Amino acid sequence: MAAHMGRLRHAVLTNQTLLNNWRVIVSDVLPRQFHYSCTLDADTPRPSKAFNKPAPTKAEKISKAMKAYIERAQAQDEMLKRETADYEIGKRHLANIMGLDPEHMTDRQVKESIQYLLPSGLYDLPSRPLMKPPQKVFPKRKDAQFGMDGRPFHSFFYTGKPQFYELLHKVTWKLEALKKEEDKLRDSGALFETEEKTEKLSLHENEWISYDTLKARVMEDISQQDYGQFLKLMTRFVEHPLAHKEARYIMKFRQRLNRQNFGDKIKPLKTAKDGRSFMTAEGYRKSAVADVTVRGHGSGRVAINGSDLEYFSLSMHREQIMFPIQFVNMLGEIDIESQVSGGGSSSQAGAIRLGLAQALTSFVSPDVVEKMRLAGLLTRDPRRKERKKPGQAKARKKFTWKKR
Amino acid sequence: MSAPLSKSRALACRFLSFRSILKNNGSGVTVSCPAFIARGHNYSLKGYSSGTSPTLQKAAAAEASQLPEDVVEDVVNVDVAAKSLQHHDYFGVRELVTVSDMFKARVHLGHKQGLRDPYMAPYLFGNRLGVDIFDLDQTLTLFQDALNFTAHIAYRGGIILFLTRHRQTMPWVERTAVEAKEYSHCRFWKGGTFTNAAVQFGTVTRLPDLCIFLNTQNNAFLPHAAITDSAKLLIPTVGIVDSNCDPRLITYPVPGNDDTPVSVEYYCSLFKKAILIGKRKRRQDGLGKD
Repeated sequence: MAAHMGRLRHAVLTNQTLLNNWRVIVSDVLPRQFHYSCTLDADTPRPSKAFNKPAPTKAEKISKAMKAYIERAQAQDEMLKRETADYEIGKRHLANIMGLDPEHMTDRQVKESIQYLLPSGLYDLPSRPLMKPPQKVFPKRKDAQFGMDGRPFHSFFYTGKPQFYELLHKVTWKLEALKKEEDKLRDSGALFETEEKTEKLSLHENEWISYDTLKARVMEDISQQDYGQFLKLMTRFVEHPLAHKEARYIMKFRQRLNRQNFGDKIKPLKTAKDGRSFMTAEGYRKSAVADVTVRGHGSGRVAINGSDLEYFSLSMHREQIMFPIQFVNMLGEIDIESQVSGGGSSSQAGAIRLGLAQALTSFVSPDVVEKMRLAGLLTRDPRRKERKKPGQAKARKKFTWKKR
Repeated sequence: MSAPLSKSRALACRFLSFRSILKNNGSGVTVSCPAFIARGHNYSLKGYSSGTSPTLQKAAAAEASQLPEDVVEDVVNVDVAAKSLQHHDYFGVRELVTVSDMFKARVHLGHKQGLRDPYMAPYLFGNRLGVDIFDLDQTLTLFQDALNFTAHIAYRGGIILFLTRHRQTMPWVERTAVEAKEYSHCRFWKGGTFTNAAVQFGTVTRLPDLCIFLNTQNNAFLPHAAITDSAKLLIPTVGIVDSNCDPRLITYPVPGNDDTPVSVEYYCSLFKKAILIGKRKRRQDGLGKD
């Protein structure tokens, strides 16, 4: 038995079995009368009954697929060319009709012209008459993933999400490069923060791109877990002390915060005649209105309607006024003047607090302003007294329920 | 005493003898495998581990019988690629590996005794302070065989896929694949990647011709699913098997440390060299572009 394998047979095979076939199946070289558990019908080129042409091998299938793709791609390119030419002619006609400059007609002007000439009351917007460049109308084709020899173009093709994993791969290696640089700096003893770090990498006005944006950018079907992995990696990347060196690359994955931002409403500080900086703001709560002036370089003096903090007898109300100043660590550094009217004591305290917080935004950095916003200091409390309803004793209180 | 050859290894040896032409316009071929015979390896069916398939036994029996009728003796061109099989070390990759280099790269360090897979026992030199130590003399020859095989596959324009699920060393493996202009899959393995490729990738896809595992286990310390999938699709595998791994289904197992980054970098550099040498020879011998 040992001698059997020692003497490997000299098998002489036909072109059909070997040619263009990357993996020869055992059944191809062994007698056919036995049952083979390891054959794969999809790959084995079984000769047809006619015996003139065997079924196509996998290589032939792939080159056929590639040829078909190339034909389809060429056909689509030609079609796009024709459509673009028609579109350009149509645009010139439209410009003629509307009296616009045909050379410098924008897409917006085209859209408005069509809306004027062909008004439509259809509720379904995509069904209305439209005139767009063909590239935007016809769907883009998916590029071929591999060449004529069947070898894929992308190194991560077999993962199924090559672009996404390439992105993670890139970021990983950038992080490794930063780590190496950090080691070098540490060895030379020059590893301490410089001014440039905060300038180049500002992350407080933006957030990571959303799942949908990433999916569209990568053009692959990534899951929420993949997105979570992406976020974890980018967070680690950004937390590295030398991340500012890759600020430009990081900013590609940041988008403007589309949630509420107080940044636009920060007013610049004013300067009084005596050289002290000051800021005024109005605060509201229920029906109380407070006009607050905050002066810098102060000593913590408070004047409400002319009188001291004693204006509010309850310590609760005094703490409400102290809260914004304590939050920004400016106790004893500023003076407050306020004129308040309307409402009750709690409302007046709340109104002063809001006005005070808004005025303080001009004194501190945008990071702190964002923190104030998150703490709720800059939100006007919208609560009002709820109306009484008929059939009830008060707004919510119901009359006694009797079973019978 | 060297370990018995794995079943799939013998199967692959037979395939190598039959996979001699990949060029489109090649014609008839004479196939032989004197290189293996010359080395005097003993490929005994009975020498495999338990569970010899009846298929192979029948195949061996059929060997003695005559050739089937539809096979025609049709020799037109001498196969250029077959010349590479005549040589013991056509690509010069056997000299790339040395025991001292492997020692410096900590290849000899296995896991603790309790984690040992019994099928890895023949590859171990011994146990020192609870740690299994690999026999680097065995690893040397097995690694040389693996590199030689890799170079041959690259020589014939085969697709090589690097796999690992070891997260610490994964970026290195991906980079090696990119630099060698081959492929890698170091992410979660989807079940149908090989077995349902046409549906997964949307079109008829060419599957890898060689899978190189830098770590044969997945994150649950179970064998990587691609090992069985490769065996199902008769894709030869090269694998770095640690002392807690199962080497049976790997065609060219290379016993060694798969956890230390230094070791993995060492393996990656050698695999990359072997592939690049194979491709260079391919261009020089005029077999193809890349």
